[in-house]
Amino acid sequence: MERRDFIRSAGVAGGLLLSFQELIAGSWETKLVAPGAASPALGDFVRIDASGDILFQFVKHEMGQGVATAMAQILAEELCADWEKVRIDFPNADMQRYQNDRNGGHDTGGSCTIIYQWDLLRKAGATVKQMLIAAAAKQWNTTPEQCYAEKHYVFQRNTSKKLAFGALALSAARLPVPARVELKKASDHQIIGKSKPAKLIPKIVTGELKYGMDIKVPGMLYAVIARCPVFKGKLKSFDAAEAMKVAGARKVFSTQRIAGLQLNAPYMPYDIREGVAVVADSFWAARQMQAKLIIEWDEGGNGKLSSEDFEEMAWNRATHRTDPTGFTGNANAVANLSHVRKTLRASYVFPQQLHSCMEPLNCTAHTGENGCEIWIGTQAPHLIDSEIRRVFGFSQEKIKMHLFPSGGGFGRRYYPDMAVEAAFISRQAGNLPVKMIWTREDDHQANLAHLFQHMEYQAALDKDNNLYAWYEKEIRTYTWSARYMDPKLPSMAYAIPNVRYDFEDMIQQELVHSSAWRGVDGHGRFYGECFLDEVAAELKRDPFEFRVSLLNGGKDTYVGDAIPVHGSRILRVLQMAAEKAKWGETLTPGRGKGIAVSTFGYSYCAVIADVTMHDNKLVINKMTIAIDCGKVINPSGVEQQMIGGIVWSLTALLYGGLPIKNGRAMHTNFHENKLLRMNECPPMEVHFVDTDEQTPGGVGEVSSPLGVPAVLNAIFAASGKRIRKIPLEMQGIGTTLREPIK
Amino acid sequence: MATVELHINTRKVNIDVDPDMPLLWAIRDFVGLTGTKYGCGIGQCGACTVHLDGNAIRSCSVPVSVVGSQKITTIEGLSEKGDHPLQLAWQQEDVPQCGYCQAGQIMNAAALLRGNARPTDSEITTAMSGNLCRCGTYQRIHKAIKTASTMNSKS
Repeated sequence: MERRDFIRSAGVAGGLLLSFQELIAGSWETKLVAPGAASPALGDFVRIDASGDILFQFVKHEMGQGVATAMAQILAEELCADWEKVRIDFPNADMQRYQNDRNGGHDTGGSCTIIYQWDLLRKAGATVKQMLIAAAAKQWNTTPEQCYAEKHYVFQRNTSKKLAFGALALSAARLPVPARVELKKASDHQIIGKSKPAKLIPKIVTGELKYGMDIKVPGMLYAVIARCPVFKGKLKSFDAAEAMKVAGARKVFSTQRIAGLQLNAPYMPYDIREGVAVVADSFWAARQMQAKLIIEWDEGGNGKLSSEDFEEMAWNRATHRTDPTGFTGNANAVANLSHVRKTLRASYVFPQQLHSCMEPLNCTAHTGENGCEIWIGTQAPHLIDSEIRRVFGFSQEKIKMHLFPSGGGFGRRYYPDMAVEAAFISRQAGNLPVKMIWTREDDHQANLAHLFQHMEYQAALDKDNNLYAWYEKEIRTYTWSARYMDPKLPSMAYAIPNVRYDFEDMIQQELVHSSAWRGVDGHGRFYGECFLDEVAAELKRDPFEFRVSLLNGGKDTYVGDAIPVHGSRILRVLQMAAEKAKWGETLTPGRGKGIAVSTFGYSYCAVIADVTMHDNKLVINKMTIAIDCGKVINPSGVEQQMIGGIVWSLTALLYGGLPIKNGRAMHTNFHENKLLRMNECPPMEVHFVDTDEQTPGGVGEVSSPLGVPAVLNAIFAASGKRIRKIPLEMQGIGTTLREPIK
Repeated sequence: MATVELHINTRKVNIDVDPDMPLLWAIRDFVGLTGTKYGCGIGQCGACTVHLDGNAIRSCSVPVSVVGSQKITTIEGLSEKGDHPLQLAWQQEDVPQCGYCQAGQIMNAAALLRGNARPTDSEITTAMSGNLCRCGTYQRIHKAIKTASTMNSKS
């Protein structure tokens, strides 16, 4: 077959254009198939124009975690590109070409992008470079071995000859794709490992960057939905007479409950509430209409319940029920503790809370008879694709999806409900294009939220004061697909001889639907770092030294993943954090430090909080973060994620929560649901552990679960107060303002 | 509905809107400048910050009818070539993560620097604490304002 069949060199710009298809052919030895047949193509992802501009078509979702820039760095490094000539764009979704698998599909979550794309993008860059070199060699009548690439040019050795990438692109595109490519040595890296400002910044600071919220298509109407304020409530009746009097009003109709991905029933990753949709000529008119609707709801059983009722149910399950949904570890770990010297118990609660993406949820949809067009920022186009097909019966090729970066995703934009709602409204509005926007009030009152976690701990100390047994029971409102999905042993691979973890599922009782939330189940799970501190305190051991003593000298431990937890890496982040935060220094009364450590996305992180407590008022003096994310691609970006994760956790610590009364969310907007502000933000320092690791780990979710346990441990060190539930605001601890260390 | 003339950046634009509509939606949905963002609608987050005659205001909380002949500056009009010291400093310090709140942050900071070319650390913190950033870029915003305050303004 002709090379041209799969190298689309005659593309728009008349340059070289390489797709994942070639990489698959080269790297995975998949046979190429004829054009038009169902192929394993993953899409065109790099284009070199005749001008030399490189367009990196980034198929994953950029939502602030910095992956677009980091992935472009990987590609540009192996390509020997001039970083300034690399641009990033976001192609439309293509379910055939961008298959959702480890080879580079759209799916963005779980801190996985860098883990899956590291090899792929290095090979991609090296492949393009090799083709450019081959093209130059051909032109100079020499061999590729006599040529090399550097900063956007191919040079001939021992001569003054050079050719720009742009001048070579077209001829390179006509050459065979090499089956094997050589990758650079780490010591030769010039772009990888260097701090690079995010590529999107010039567009961000001038207001040019388009988010899903900013889309306008011809003839577009605006929609807002009044969703049932009580989860699982039903619409009884509504009166839209006043709403329809608003200038610009177009239509009012009821919307249905749509619970998603029913293959996994009874667990619904998303569950759209019933409601009333209003459609108008402008968002402002739609907003006015929504306010003027008179709606009667059948609130159902949840309408009688409040957060306290739910937490009591969880408490009862934690302390009384002994029929876990599942468990792992040693079944008899705590069955017979008659011989132990002492048993400690504690309950910790991590409440539900909102994602509060700064860009409110939105989607623009335009349905037709047999298909639809969608404009959205989403972490999971494949879920939108499958749910739109399931709900509307459209075939895949009739669904066109335009993808945009998001103003925050944090897991919330993994769920496809916005697209399903928008498409439903477009259809009901007569197949007109409609932009559906969640108001910030809707976001507070009818959204998915972080899962609820009640952690019940038990530790047994033997007569020699060794930690003999550890039991933890997690009562949680979230599973994705199976009744019991988390067979991992308690988090940190500490050397404890008898360990048991029980999981109890309360998803059917939840008052607000649960979802993934930056760090997912890590938030409750890493309360283990607090309970470990309780054990250390009982033993009068230093929390840092105690952790080190449990790490078995840094051995690897398997906790349920294929890849072990490396004790040596935990040790190194602990040690670096301790050193940088001056752990062990003498402190004035009222001041204390707390430590917490974890692993997420194959990265390791330790956090030390330095706090002062006076009269139940907390001041966070400083947060010190040590990170080992393996191979560092963009240090500036990693630092941002570390600090951003701590800010995330401090919001949860101080204010996080979603209080419910009679089934309804009590918070309506940011004046009640507070987020950390600049004047509350403590100084933070990020330190990188020097490592020989050659593969990168994810960094978006490794620090976010650690701020809470680190500060709670520091509060104990400073004041002797053991806090086991957040937010502090509800625990009689005054909120913090940044103040100098006294 | 009423016809309103807005003096926005270097343009004069006539739009036919509900006079009670907040300026934010007039700018976004009727003038078509989408750099100014909707975050909360109640003046709590600052994502919608624009300048009225040089002063930072929350455009979500100002009805379009009260703007009158005051000059509106949005992020698109902050500088001609995207080279306001703050825009350069934001790039230099690699401030944004998702970027959604940053137009509001920059417009708020620009108004601060306009009245106080060399703000102290605590003046920056006080001035910027009305703007939310869920990604947690506060430390870098603070640093970038310091950086910008030491640049020679090109305008």
